[in-house]
Amino acid sequence: MTPDGVAVAAPVVPNYGIDDDRLLRRDPVVGALRRRLTGHYAVDAFGGDPHLQDFVLAPVAGRIPMRIDGAEHLPTEGPALLVANHGPLLVEPLVLVGAVQRTVARRLRVVGLAAPPVIGALTHKLGGVSGHGGDVAAVLRSGHLAAVPLTRRWLGTGAGEAPRGVIAATLGYPVLPVALALRGPLGLPVAAWSVRIGAPLLPPEGTEAGDPLAAAELAESVRASVTALLGRPGDGAIR
Amino acid sequence: MRVLVTGMGGHLGTRVAQLLEERADVEAVVGFDLAPPRRRLRRATFTRIDPRDRERLIAFVRDFAPTAVAHFGVYEPAARLGVRAAGPASEDCTVNALGAAVRAGALEHVVVRSGLEVYGRGRRRSEVPDEGAVLGPASPFGRTCLDVEAHAASLSRRHGIPVAALRLAPVSGSRAPSPIGRLLRLPAVPVPALADPPFQLLHTDDAARAMVAALLRRAEGAFNVVGPGAASPWQAVHLGRRIPVPTWGPGWPAAARAAEVLGAPVPAHVIDLMRRGLVADDTRARTELGLVDLVPTQQVLADLFAWASVTPVAPVVSNVSTAVADDGGPHLRLVGESGA
Repeated sequence: MTPDGVAVAAPVVPNYGIDDDRLLRRDPVVGALRRRLTGHYAVDAFGGDPHLQDFVLAPVAGRIPMRIDGAEHLPTEGPALLVANHGPLLVEPLVLVGAVQRTVARRLRVVGLAAPPVIGALTHKLGGVSGHGGDVAAVLRSGHLAAVPLTRRWLGTGAGEAPRGVIAATLGYPVLPVALALRGPLGLPVAAWSVRIGAPLLPPEGTEAGDPLAAAELAESVRASVTALLGRPGDGAIR
Repeated sequence: MRVLVTGMGGHLGTRVAQLLEERADVEAVVGFDLAPPRRRLRRATFTRIDPRDRERLIAFVRDFAPTAVAHFGVYEPAARLGVRAAGPASEDCTVNALGAAVRAGALEHVVVRSGLEVYGRGRRRSEVPDEGAVLGPASPFGRTCLDVEAHAASLSRRHGIPVAALRLAPVSGSRAPSPIGRLLRLPAVPVPALADPPFQLLHTDDAARAMVAALLRRAEGAFNVVGPGAASPWQAVHLGRRIPVPTWGPGWPAAARAAEVLGAPVPAHVIDLMRRGLVADDTRARTELGLVDLVPTQQVLADLFAWASVTPVAPVVSNVSTAVADDGGPHLRLVGESGA
């Protein structure tokens, strides 16, 4: 479905029993290695390798301790753009992947990961997508979930700016604000992650894709929502 | 509708002619090419004309006075023509055939074959471009496709004739000559040592279907047409049980030369595909042309390798006849193969 409501039949893409949107089952190690050697797996148009994700990413993301609030906002099918705060740590995309995996058993495309040679190839295989607005829109048109970070806050406080270019290119798809933080006893940044997912945000009805003013307003709403989810200082909430 | 099919001798042009001649609303189908079709045509008529033979080509097109043109006279380097000849032949065919069709006075619609190679790759460019993405071809074939689109767009502007461009993923099939198909069927295949980018393929029959759909719906503008899903060089090589040869930087020209010696000339756009990938967003083709059930890229690959693995056995030798392969070279007709 396109944001303007035009129905698009999803192409049937047989992938040797592996779904490029849902986590179904995981091969045993020997079976997985056999697949890699016989080529009985497929990549998607964004360079993602669902089989490698099942084999490498899912077990790691599944072991991250976390508490998830607002899981009911994550769609069990269809597209959505998750916008999350980004602190000084590098594991936040992995936490998001783990949260989506646990709640709706779906794959998550993470926007804007580093793409130098070799590392870029690997991050693409594990679900990374370029930060180009058109590419993120293509992910959503394909019916997948994508996550884009707010600008990084090195001191780990508050929410950064929302990427207006990406939000403009994807206007019309639901945007979910997400707050991530390490939360331990007494609010200390140890132990389990806290993942708070807010209600979906949409631009006013009738907004055309690419409208810069609507994108700016939506970006500001997203930033405010993430800030609210992070909570006010001193109340023991996550920051 | 009176349809002129340029490049009718190729697999795509022949399939388009076959699909059109089945339709009652198509009054006549006429085509020309360097070489004749290798499939039976019932109503369509073919004339052998070299697209570089300007005067003969123009006279032929003007006599027919088409109302629509299906322009498949865009030759992929190292498919049916050599790397050097393909570009000029495509240019001549486009300028002469479309120009003559306009001058004949009855032309109402044109659909041209183009390719995803028009997009190019690089930093700050979309990795999965839609039709509105910035164009910037990096290979001679990409530039040829862009030139063909430019000629057609100019014609559209000057004469008010709707024009559609089908930007096809690399077309491949077991019986269609394609450089990517030949490369992947080699016993050892060069693959990027430090990357594994996605690429998409399009089945030959689907490319023909896309052309017919664009003609019948009087489509206008550009359309990306790709086989759903994607493959990557390493995965494709494993699927075909070929030997991957990790290649990097200056190793690519050497690999291309070695492949050419082995009978698989590798033009620049195919090297580009292996090194940087080639995919596109086909939402527009699915919604506006109704192309929703195309053969997936993985199936195109599987067909390619299944055909290559057929091995003639001793008792069959007496029934084996020499036929001419689509790629111009003699090959052995195998048991169960139609010989089309």
